[in-house]
Amino acid sequence: MASDTTDNGMSRRSFLRTSTVLSAGAAAIAAGLAPLRKLGQFTSVDEFVQKYYKELSPEEMKAVLARIEDEVQRQYGIRPHVRDYKPMNGVEFVYALNLTRCVGCRKCVHACVAENNQSRNPEIQYIRVLRMPNDGTFDVDKGDHNYAPKSVPEPGVFYMPVQCHQCKNPPCVKVCPVKATWQEPDGITVVDYNWCIGCRYCEAACPYWARRFNFTDPSIPPDQLNLNMSYLGNRPRRKGVMEKCHFCIQRTRAGRYPACVEVCPTGSRKFGNILDPDSEVSYILRNKRVLVLKAEVGTLPRFFYYFDV
Amino acid sequence: MASRGQGQSLDSVPSRLNPNPNTSIVLAILTAGFVVLAYSFARVPARPGVVSRPLLVPPGALAIVPGTVRISAGQLMKSGGDVSGLDCYACHHKESPPEVKFDANHRIVLPREHADLIISMRNCAECHPPNDPVKLDYDASGNVIVPAAHQGLLSMAHGHTLRNNNCYNCHDRDQLDQLHTPDGAALKFEQATLLCASCHGPTYRDWMAGAHGRTGGYWDRKAGPIKREECASCHDPHAPAFTGLIPMPGPHPLHPLPRTPAPSVSNDHGL
Repeated sequence: MASDTTDNGMSRRSFLRTSTVLSAGAAAIAAGLAPLRKLGQFTSVDEFVQKYYKELSPEEMKAVLARIEDEVQRQYGIRPHVRDYKPMNGVEFVYALNLTRCVGCRKCVHACVAENNQSRNPEIQYIRVLRMPNDGTFDVDKGDHNYAPKSVPEPGVFYMPVQCHQCKNPPCVKVCPVKATWQEPDGITVVDYNWCIGCRYCEAACPYWARRFNFTDPSIPPDQLNLNMSYLGNRPRRKGVMEKCHFCIQRTRAGRYPACVEVCPTGSRKFGNILDPDSEVSYILRNKRVLVLKAEVGTLPRFFYYFDV
Repeated sequence: MASRGQGQSLDSVPSRLNPNPNTSIVLAILTAGFVVLAYSFARVPARPGVVSRPLLVPPGALAIVPGTVRISAGQLMKSGGDVSGLDCYACHHKESPPEVKFDANHRIVLPREHADLIISMRNCAECHPPNDPVKLDYDASGNVIVPAAHQGLLSMAHGHTLRNNNCYNCHDRDQLDQLHTPDGAALKFEQATLLCASCHGPTYRDWMAGAHGRTGGYWDRKAGPIKREECASCHDPHAPAFTGLIPMPGPHPLHPLPRTPAPSVSNDHGL
């Protein structure tokens, strides 16, 4: 047996056995970690080390936008145009919704899904329309989301669409532990999808149930992708991040109306710059009886409901 | 793996890598565990996106979305089936424009999903040239006889009590494509909005301020034009009330809510 022993005190048998076990173990570990290699499709090193939105220099931002365009092209086979729209000076967005005119057709809901590249399956909808009994109580607990009559409007009810109210005192921003969501100078509360850790505190804090979480990887047919994208707006999100209505930031910061305003067949939805006295929202706030939802919680929404004749 | 005898023989020869038979057993178990892990990782797809999920949105649901546009019968008839200039593309793709069909009476055949599309009769002159004005026929009780081609297109239902049903309340008695207000001021057809305003003052005031009616285009006047609609773009002057619309599909959460929830449990967040 002495002939089996090498100089460092290891026999051939023990060497073979140990090396077999070790190499098998190493192979098993490598095989076990193999799925991580596919993670590269989702999280590149550049993305992993990307800085916070507010700390990105213009050059870094350009590189980030180009990287996002590459990623979307790789995933959907079509190259989008991703921009970082900045808030305008002297602009504060306000929304007004005429509850007398709204017929509950939900066209706004689906125009929003198409414009903002929300997941189609499961479908993420920023707007939900409540069918409320017209009994004078204005009790949201009596609202029904799942109405599906043959024809709307129905008698004896009114319809109240609810989406992000872009509060001036937003509880969702206060609770975010990583400051991945904040209020912009033009009043839009935005989310940095690369900074969000998916803790869903903001969803719990929102009194209007306006935030949506990507529980699964979003699925969007490539031919339905809206290619006019913005960093803080409608670029494709991924599993595990929060998203919300951002007043169609890619449209409104380019001077256009949000998709829900344009599609509304009854003209119930009104949008504009409250700092401009000639805007339609200024007129509505001056001349109509407006109300905000859950005024008692002190969130100071920029989303006003009103009735008229 | 290692038999007791081999282990004892190894004990006599101290190995730096494998000093103890128990270590071999632990290593063997770990190896087996990793192999099982690797196998199970290989079985489960890496991308959750490719896991086949049941369709929560029924595939046909979005195909029966009703049109939102309100276009005039004249526009549609004159188009002869080519609707490329009309606003059908809120839903239709430009590459596959909708097909317009006519029946034997030259009436437009509306598909089922467009049953609520409003086709308004708003301008006779779109089809009837001004030098060949429309001749009206009256029945014994003095009501206008609507020709077959216009049946269903022209229904008189103006006002809550439907009492504003006399053509000449708004139209000129001799030339139907001329209008006049109740106090006699003559208006051209293109000024129909002013005619509406002569009775619906507060609504006209709201419309002028942008608070009534459909809006599109640019809120920022410096960036581009705002898109407004005149009264007759949305309301058929002869029957201005909106008819019903087919509602689009409701929410599709990951775990669908019961069809019609009890009101007290219909929502989780007090809304």
